[in-house]
Amino acid sequence: MQKALVAGLALGAVLPFLGTFVTLRKLSFLGDGIAHASLAGIAIGIVAAVNPFPVALAVGVSTGILVYILERKTSISSDALVGVLFTGALSFGLILMSMQRGYQPELLSFLFGNILSIRAQDLWVILPLSAGIIGVLITYFRQFALLALDRETAGLYRVNTSPLDLLFYILVSVAIVLGVKLLGVILVSALLIVPPSIAKMIARSFRKMVVWSIVGAECFVILGLALSYMLDWPSGATIVLVGAGAFLLIAAMQGLTSTRRS
Amino acid sequence: MKTLNAIEVHNLSFSYTSAEKTLEGVSFDIPHGSICALVGPNGSGKTTLLKIMIGLLAPAGGNVLILGKPPKESRTLIGYVPQRFSFDKTFPITVFEILHMSHPGRSRTEIMEYLHRLNMDGRADIHLGTLSGGQLQRVLICRAMLSDPAVLFLDEPVSGVDVGGEQTFYELIAYLHREYNTTIVMVSHELDVVANFADLVLCVNKKLVCDGKPEHVFTAETLTELYGKEAAHYHHKE
Repeated sequence: MQKALVAGLALGAVLPFLGTFVTLRKLSFLGDGIAHASLAGIAIGIVAAVNPFPVALAVGVSTGILVYILERKTSISSDALVGVLFTGALSFGLILMSMQRGYQPELLSFLFGNILSIRAQDLWVILPLSAGIIGVLITYFRQFALLALDRETAGLYRVNTSPLDLLFYILVSVAIVLGVKLLGVILVSALLIVPPSIAKMIARSFRKMVVWSIVGAECFVILGLALSYMLDWPSGATIVLVGAGAFLLIAAMQGLTSTRRS
Repeated sequence: MKTLNAIEVHNLSFSYTSAEKTLEGVSFDIPHGSICALVGPNGSGKTTLLKIMIGLLAPAGGNVLILGKPPKESRTLIGYVPQRFSFDKTFPITVFEILHMSHPGRSRTEIMEYLHRLNMDGRADIHLGTLSGGQLQRVLICRAMLSDPAVLFLDEPVSGVDVGGEQTFYELIAYLHREYNTTIVMVSHELDVVANFADLVLCVNKKLVCDGKPEHVFTAETLTELYGKEAAHYHHKE
């Protein structure tokens, strides 16, 4: 539980921080796509009897880079590219897994997230990589914000657009795969999207939106993990359910406030 | 040696597809301190030409010098106000945040001073998405002016701005030109405004059709060549 909490707190900072830029750039589907594509890496790891985590990381990052390259070299939209790549990689993973006989507990924990699956060696990957991503986001905060706001004019304000775009896709890919063990392939992108969507409703500036996203996500992780532990529910689903509940509550409160005003 | 021209364009060509040239063999000079208007029909390549001049597009052939340097090396010397600034209006970014992120070296006091000059007092901490078209245009001008640009590029700057806002906008540009001797290059469809405001007109329709002072350029023949028969009436109204 302690390891899961430490991992959850790290992911609760890195995913919503990145998610603020992801939602501003309308790239929400990218997170989902990379998470699903990483299942191919997990399957390769399980079939080859090696640690699936680094293989999933390699597949996730490769997918992110491939989306970046194809977006620029073809006229196909980002959503369509992500759709094709993630369903392709997911199908490959499913076929590989179908070749394995018997019950696959490891696969299930990757699909839905599992507190008990977080081991000390996973923390040695999650913590430094999360710290590294946060460091990059803080260093290039201004550049990523301008890129997300209006890519065309960003270049006029000392933003090196193409390399930073590529870096951003890599960061999203790494962060998503880091979250797969705790939250699961199906639900990990929720921590990227739900907290910034809530923060957007209440924040009065961009910086405050980032802060509220992280604060919100940390609360969902702590409450979600506690409930998951007490009720023996899947960790990812419980964290996301808490976040989705908070989203609905705040949206309803905002709706009531605006009805009263009108 | 300091060049007398703010902008020098030589034999410029550009195409988005291999089938059709958007610009071909375009050459002109814009002297320091000019107010230059780029006019021409829709799809004539005006915005493309502007984007090449500021280095957002790379030309297929020819070259551009802004204050004697290629566009990408002169970005600190130019300001740009785009035709459309498309952003998610529900996003909580404030006027101050976008200005400070664009110019991190500028202090809050300096940014407030520029907002004051543009009659935007008290607007620093409000959401960008809640501004009217005219107010957003002022923020974008403020963003461009914070670079202390020697050349200011404006792409159809009053599209989406009401009549009162238009008048104020042109007064503001005239003030900037007068106070700072900024060279201004503006894409415009408003020939009456251009006739009164600009001292150099470049007529573009895939190539440079003509250039010169407004009174010399806006003749029935040129306007017909540029826009078709109907536009020739504009000349007779003057």
